[in-house]
Amino acid sequence: MILTAEANGFLSPNGVEIVFLLVGVVTLGAAVITVTTRQLVHAALWLVVALGGLAVEYLLLTAEFIAWVQVLIYVGSVVVLLLFGLMLTRAPIGRSPDADSENRWVALAVALAAAATLVTVVADAFRSTWIDLDRSVQGSPEVTGESLFRHWVLPFEALSVLLLAALVGAITLSRRRGADDAPASPKQER
Amino acid sequence: MSDVLEVALRLLAVLAAFLVLPLLVGQAEHKAMAHMQGRLGPMYAGGFHGWAQLIADGVKFAQKEDIVPAGADRRVFQLAPAVALLPYLVVLIVLPVGPNGFVGQVVDAGLFFVLAVMGVGVLGSLMAGWASANKFSLLGGLRTAAQLMAYELPMLLAAASVAMAAGTLSLPLIVEEFEWWWLPWQAVGGLVFFTAGLAELQRPPFDMPVADSEIIFGAYTEYTGLRFALFLLAEYAGIVVLCLLTTVLFLGGWHGPWSDSLGWLWTLLKGTALAFVVIWLRTSYPRLREDQLQRFAWTVLIPLALAQIALTGVVRVVAQ
Amino acid sequence: MSDDAPRSEPSGTASGRRLPGRGLAKGLAVTLRTMTRRSVTDQYPDALPELPPRSRGVIGLFEENCTVCMLCARECPDWCIYIDSHKETVPATTPGGRERSRNVLDRFAIDFALCMYCGICIEVCPFDALFWSPEFEYAEEDILDLTHERDRLREWMWTVPVPPALDPAGEEPKEVAAARKAAERPDPPEQPGTEPGRPGGRGPRREGEA
Repeated sequence: MILTAEANGFLSPNGVEIVFLLVGVVTLGAAVITVTTRQLVHAALWLVVALGGLAVEYLLLTAEFIAWVQVLIYVGSVVVLLLFGLMLTRAPIGRSPDADSENRWVALAVALAAAATLVTVVADAFRSTWIDLDRSVQGSPEVTGESLFRHWVLPFEALSVLLLAALVGAITLSRRRGADDAPASPKQER
Repeated sequence: MSDVLEVALRLLAVLAAFLVLPLLVGQAEHKAMAHMQGRLGPMYAGGFHGWAQLIADGVKFAQKEDIVPAGADRRVFQLAPAVALLPYLVVLIVLPVGPNGFVGQVVDAGLFFVLAVMGVGVLGSLMAGWASANKFSLLGGLRTAAQLMAYELPMLLAAASVAMAAGTLSLPLIVEEFEWWWLPWQAVGGLVFFTAGLAELQRPPFDMPVADSEIIFGAYTEYTGLRFALFLLAEYAGIVVLCLLTTVLFLGGWHGPWSDSLGWLWTLLKGTALAFVVIWLRTSYPRLREDQLQRFAWTVLIPLALAQIALTGVVRVVAQ
Repeated sequence: MSDDAPRSEPSGTASGRRLPGRGLAKGLAVTLRTMTRRSVTDQYPDALPELPPRSRGVIGLFEENCTVCMLCARECPDWCIYIDSHKETVPATTPGGRERSRNVLDRFAIDFALCMYCGICIEVCPFDALFWSPEFEYAEEDILDLTHERDRLREWMWTVPVPPALDPAGEEPKEVAAARKAAERPDPPEQPGTEPGRPGGRGPRREGEA
């Protein structure tokens, strides 16, 4: 629904804003349920809803590329990995009484602090910026690629080196037994 | 007003295709597989060579009792078939069939959209596997997840190679950029893409997650009636989507003689040929073991896909 | 798919990895070739199958040959043959001769719900009263109806096919050989009893067909 609205533009920009807010509320709700539910797998599935909502928000901000990458990486891979891990270890149907950790208040404090910081920073950075929805799309793959590989190449490469290091680290950790032979060449870097 | 009407018509056409094409593939599989095994396949339903077999099957499935196991997680169990099926419907909307806007809806980053949404479909199998409260289902779900994680990467890399070659992520534009010499140039990528797609659909020979001789029917073991039929429909819709997508990305979509007027026919023909290959592979090859599956993905497909990307990059740079 | 052959085969011989993907291509070729051929399926209810003459479908009884010796009933591994009989005395054929007693068959039934189609009864019958018939369509809705009584077993008898001809390269049947020997003896007296044309020594003798 939102998709067609966005692509055809028969909703007024005001309408897009309303939808944005509604989706935001849904996303927030899903996120809250994710951390409060006692059912492990349900938490993972609510996470899907939250991440999907986030992707819709990206879409509404015309950041099409980021939105699909969000779905591809987070919904398609990270959640699958999460579910895989849950199923592999322990995923009872129904409530898990021991899913409640003792430090929920600490977690709440950390979450609130992080949220406050992010909200402050983002609000400060984009104080009066408006995305003109009628103008050319600002988050298209072309624009994203251009800014990524023209203006932000160095951070991008630094990030890839970081990921490479993490990959090599993971391989070394998991191959501790046969420590003598060299770690496998980390081909899949991105 | 005509805009709305046009969109509605397009979506209706896509829905019709979504309901008809998987049945056609299923029927073709019934018959082709039977003849490849020296049998005749269904011969009675509908009169002429059993053409209505799948319709009869659908009626049968609709009549069956819809059972949710007592120990199952009710809501997740009931939701899973929809999660498995709907992504393919959504993907079908953006697949270009012919030139000049013969497509449900153009999406700018269509390639990413398609791959992202297709990945979501697997969540349905995972949900089904977990929510059934059945150890075989759980095993099936686990295998599905492991397989998805292994084969998503080569598929993405192969698709990225095409995107690099065409210089765009939009599916219609990729087809428009297509030249005949892309066939040899992107051949390896195409093979990797198609193979990985087969694995993501859990089609034989990559059907370890539903290996009936080991884990009954994997994640779908506990399903009955219409929900089971939806899972089957999702599998065949997946075949349709994979074949059309491979056609669009690697075989030049609507390109061919008289492509201006008959472009859509070319796309469908190429897709049909690929669907036949899918059936053919199923009939010819035994199932890969789980470790073979994983090794094949990580040690064969991914290096090949990376090599294809390197080749694409080199040719791109040299050619310009 | 042609580039994934030489993985995961620990004992790939030198000839086996001559061309990677050869086996895969062969597999595809086999299925494709099968697809172009006619399928072997018999459309059974529409077209009756052509059964070989020695098919074990049902057992027919030629009761004139039965002497109620009970061999078949005794040899049957699952006791599915029921035989009732009584004795009758036959008056002497020659004046002053002794009266003979003879077994008369009252009931002969085979329970095909029990029968396991081993054919032992047919093998042991010394008087060629039992025969295999290839008829197989005698399914019933009631299991009791699977016990075929005497008249039904006799009906099956008319469906027993002609035994297949002997293999031309095979050994001559003993009866024929003996008859020939007798015929070739120098200055033989005529031997009208043997028919050299039909080597019917071991198979059913086709009385029923006449």
